[in-house]
Amino acid sequence: MAVMRILAALITAASVLWSVSQPARSEVTPAEQGGARPGDGNHFSPLDQLTPANASHLKLYAAFPTGSRGAHSGAPLVMGNMLVVLTPFPHVLYALDLRKAKPEVAWRYEPASRGMAAGLTCCGTGGPVSYGNHLYFNTVDGRTIALDPASGAVLWDVQAADPALGETLTGAPVIARGQVVLGNAGDDFGARGWITARSATTGAALWKHYSTGPDAEVGIGPGFAPPYPTDRAVDRGITTWPPSAWQHGGGGVSGPILWDASAGLLFHGTGHPAPWNPDQRNGDNRWTSGLFARDVTTGEARWFVPVNPHDLYALGSTSALLLVERDWRGGPAPLLIHPDGNGHVYVLDRRTGKVLSAEPFIPVNATKGFDLAAGALVRDPAKAIRSGATTRGICPARPGATGAGAAYSPRTGLLYIPVRRACMDMEARDTTFMPGTAFTGGNLRLSPAPGLSAGALVGWDIAAGHAVWEQAEPLPVEGGALATAGGLVFYGTTDGFFKALDAGNGVELWHFRGSSGIVGQPISYLGPDGRQYVAVLAGLGGVPGSASGREIDMRDATAANGQAQALRALPPRADGGGMLYIFALP
Amino acid sequence: MTALRCAALVVLALAGCKQEERAMRLDPPIAEAMDAVALMPDGIGGRPPEVHVAMGNPYRGNAYQISQGKRLYEWFNCRGCHADGGGGSGPALMDGWWRYGPDLVSIYVSIRDGRPNGMPPFRDRLTPEQIWQLTGYIQMMGAYSASAAAPGRNDRMFSRPSENRAPAAAPAPGQP
Amino acid sequence: MKPGRAARLCFLLLCLCCAGCTGWQSAMDPQGPAARRLDQLFWLFTGTAALIWLLVMLVLALALLRRRMPPEAVAEHRSTVAVGGAVAATVLIITGLTFASYLATRQDSAGHADALVIRVRGFQWWWEVTYPDAAPDHSFLTANEIHIPVGRPVRIELAAADVIHSFWVPNLAGKQDMIPGRDNALTFTVQQPGIYRGQCAEFCGLQHAHMALLVVAEPPEAFERWRAAQLAEAQAPRTPEAAEGQRLLEIKACGACHTVRGTAAAGTLGPDLTHLASRQYLAAGMLPVTRGALAAWIADPQTIKPGNNMPMVSLSADELQALSAYLVDLK
Repeated sequence: MAVMRILAALITAASVLWSVSQPARSEVTPAEQGGARPGDGNHFSPLDQLTPANASHLKLYAAFPTGSRGAHSGAPLVMGNMLVVLTPFPHVLYALDLRKAKPEVAWRYEPASRGMAAGLTCCGTGGPVSYGNHLYFNTVDGRTIALDPASGAVLWDVQAADPALGETLTGAPVIARGQVVLGNAGDDFGARGWITARSATTGAALWKHYSTGPDAEVGIGPGFAPPYPTDRAVDRGITTWPPSAWQHGGGGVSGPILWDASAGLLFHGTGHPAPWNPDQRNGDNRWTSGLFARDVTTGEARWFVPVNPHDLYALGSTSALLLVERDWRGGPAPLLIHPDGNGHVYVLDRRTGKVLSAEPFIPVNATKGFDLAAGALVRDPAKAIRSGATTRGICPARPGATGAGAAYSPRTGLLYIPVRRACMDMEARDTTFMPGTAFTGGNLRLSPAPGLSAGALVGWDIAAGHAVWEQAEPLPVEGGALATAGGLVFYGTTDGFFKALDAGNGVELWHFRGSSGIVGQPISYLGPDGRQYVAVLAGLGGVPGSASGREIDMRDATAANGQAQALRALPPRADGGGMLYIFALP
Repeated sequence: MTALRCAALVVLALAGCKQEERAMRLDPPIAEAMDAVALMPDGIGGRPPEVHVAMGNPYRGNAYQISQGKRLYEWFNCRGCHADGGGGSGPALMDGWWRYGPDLVSIYVSIRDGRPNGMPPFRDRLTPEQIWQLTGYIQMMGAYSASAAAPGRNDRMFSRPSENRAPAAAPAPGQP
Repeated sequence: MKPGRAARLCFLLLCLCCAGCTGWQSAMDPQGPAARRLDQLFWLFTGTAALIWLLVMLVLALALLRRRMPPEAVAEHRSTVAVGGAVAATVLIITGLTFASYLATRQDSAGHADALVIRVRGFQWWWEVTYPDAAPDHSFLTANEIHIPVGRPVRIELAAADVIHSFWVPNLAGKQDMIPGRDNALTFTVQQPGIYRGQCAEFCGLQHAHMALLVVAEPPEAFERWRAAQLAEAQAPRTPEAAEGQRLLEIKACGACHTVRGTAAAGTLGPDLTHLASRQYLAAGMLPVTRGALAAWIADPQTIKPGNNMPMVSLSADELQALSAYLVDLK
């Protein structure tokens, strides 16, 4: 008997040890995802075959037309010997076989789509993600779909978001502890923001928490410990809004969702409050435009940091998030880095949410510095917004100084931020709420920041709190950056260039002129032949609402929320749609 | 002779007394009939209701109706997707390109019933008369010739040349 | 005309004039210090002008009656005195009246630390009233009717949404324009409870004449009770007919322009209807809030107030019944 008991104990111990020692399931092996653990948002590839010495010899290995005219803002996914691409809405999912001499389509899947959702978003879609042997992706019209890539069969298909309420899914899901975690978009339509988890095996809803409303619906309970005292009051998601305004308050979780397996925490930003006109929503508008840490199993909030409280310019806080382990002013610290649309790089202590530093990475005039004690930006009253009035020359302009694609390299210690440098005139007007229609109330005119190029890739020293180098671009950089262990940084520009820079000093080593602007995230992977490849999707679509995407008349300075005029220099599009480009050394 | 001259002046002056007719509202049976557009099977184009013809196309040439349309354009969030006619996530309305046809019926049906790629229906949010006012304004926005009934310059942040100045056929600045 | 008849006629005319001296919309019936100051100023001007008029008439009468011209030197001297006196008097009177005007109105824009702040925004052709609060969820919106506590200074912050309007409650204070893009304010206090009518005093379009508002002054406890009631969400329907009315409110075009907190109607283009029946009038003073008047208004707003921005929504008789039953219960 005793022997049996000892045996049982040993088996239990062994299985516990085994399960703990397994890499977290959302981490796919280096060969599959180019080494970047999708949970940490670093967009860093440990592959080092490509270096500054040989980068100038990169050649186009393959080009695959996606056949879609939309904005290709997602990343391709590599799973084993397959490269999976999700085209913009209406979606087609292609699986390319990498073993062939030139990748060819192994299978394709086209989900049924609700055309109405096309009017709810300008800007593209997230890419597919993998977990175990399965593929998961979100559709813009609100569905989350799980596929078996071997057969192309659908495992489950759930309607997670409701387009009739203005909700869409514009980001990729994240897999954490067997859960598919995703958040909605739709702040510009007054859709109430939320984040939800669904079972990876069955698609059943596990939990759902909102970005506005009563504490119970937001997931604020006894375990909530915000770093700044004002947020410890009850029901801040109601008391910081005019009565009932939180019900169509925005705050969608449309940006990156990170997962820290060791801490068991999810990190995500919430979008901007609705409407854009701040006078129609007096108050701090919790819990929009800030960063949340949530328990991964229950979704309960652990802390919240307001980044743009009572967001005056509808910037939100859904730009890049990165989990970084490095030294900070003395000892090692688990950091959360967030270059925000308001032009500041936030460095937070991941455990408590306290803001350690918030330095501006572009010239800004809407804010005059950051008060570390209060954890808040100091706003310039001259750039305040009032309903019915026009405020001129606000920098940074909406949609923000940066998007979702920053990268970090532990080799150089630099943060690579794709930057938009535009300033705007904003006129706030009253707007009424009707579900499914735009709920904005702001007219914008954009122009490049005076004396600067409209875009850049900035190499930012996190410890020092200033830029080390920058590569200026004539147009705002909408796409993401990829840093590699070989010492390179890859990124795509709005006017169609795909570039490789030296990660240390920012010197341009190589570029490729694609057929259309690049707004997506590059990836790098080891092919079946053991060589390093770099892949990116090109295709501008309606991302900046540019003349090359949708039908825009530039005589209207407010067309496409002001961006049409700001992007006047964009060459007219000659091609017919998006392309997948794959590069390698010859 | 002075009396004659005076009389002539008075007659001339009175000729300017004809004010534009402003229909504050349609009679209910006419309002109902105005919703009865006859639509082609593909949803593009059709025949306006007979009362519309009988009323003499009141929504294009009447400054009051067009200004009401302009007010509704702002009130009902058209700007959120179409900007001030320049477009955004929705197509431009001032450039003279009409996806579903340039005629009043197509525009009316687009607003009332929505369109497949994201235009929501407004039939439950606007009355037929309001939709006709919007239709008249939008068609005038993208018209090929200037209209005397079109509104003048806005008293707010400048976005585009005023409607009475900018026919759609004019080339856009900076474009060939 | 016989003397008796003339006297009677004069008496009748006098009665008619005096009818403007009292009432709920009369500048001659001041109910607070601000209006009282203006009233006093008015009588000061009228009195001064009357005196001057009498004096001038007297001198004219003297001149007409006196037939003989005095010798030239005397006449010269007298006219110098008269002209000199008139000029001096004019200067003194103008200076005095200017000073009096300044004194009377300078307190109207003064700030008071304990003032109750209310924001009134003029629309064509109704008044949007906001009661702001330090806690945003304790602020609320209403329309066309302002409640204020007695004895406490009230500061009305004035704005305009479209064209120039003017805020004028004659019993309480003078006129103050509401100009788009400009912040104006008016401060006054009311001493005793009462209901006072005001109206727009700057031509603002077709229905300028029908843009009235009501100021209800009540004891502080009653005011706080009213404020707490206004913060609550709309009354839930208590009968099946009212429930049908709420359903119609949500599916018809009503919610695109009006807000009724607690339902799906969240429009902000027209007046907030959450507590419509707690107000005395509809459509900025046009109709009383009764079920019949509500139905009449919804059935045909353009005939009652031609040119206003509420459209004629097509509803059947049953739907009108249900809707009016619901709305009249929104206390």
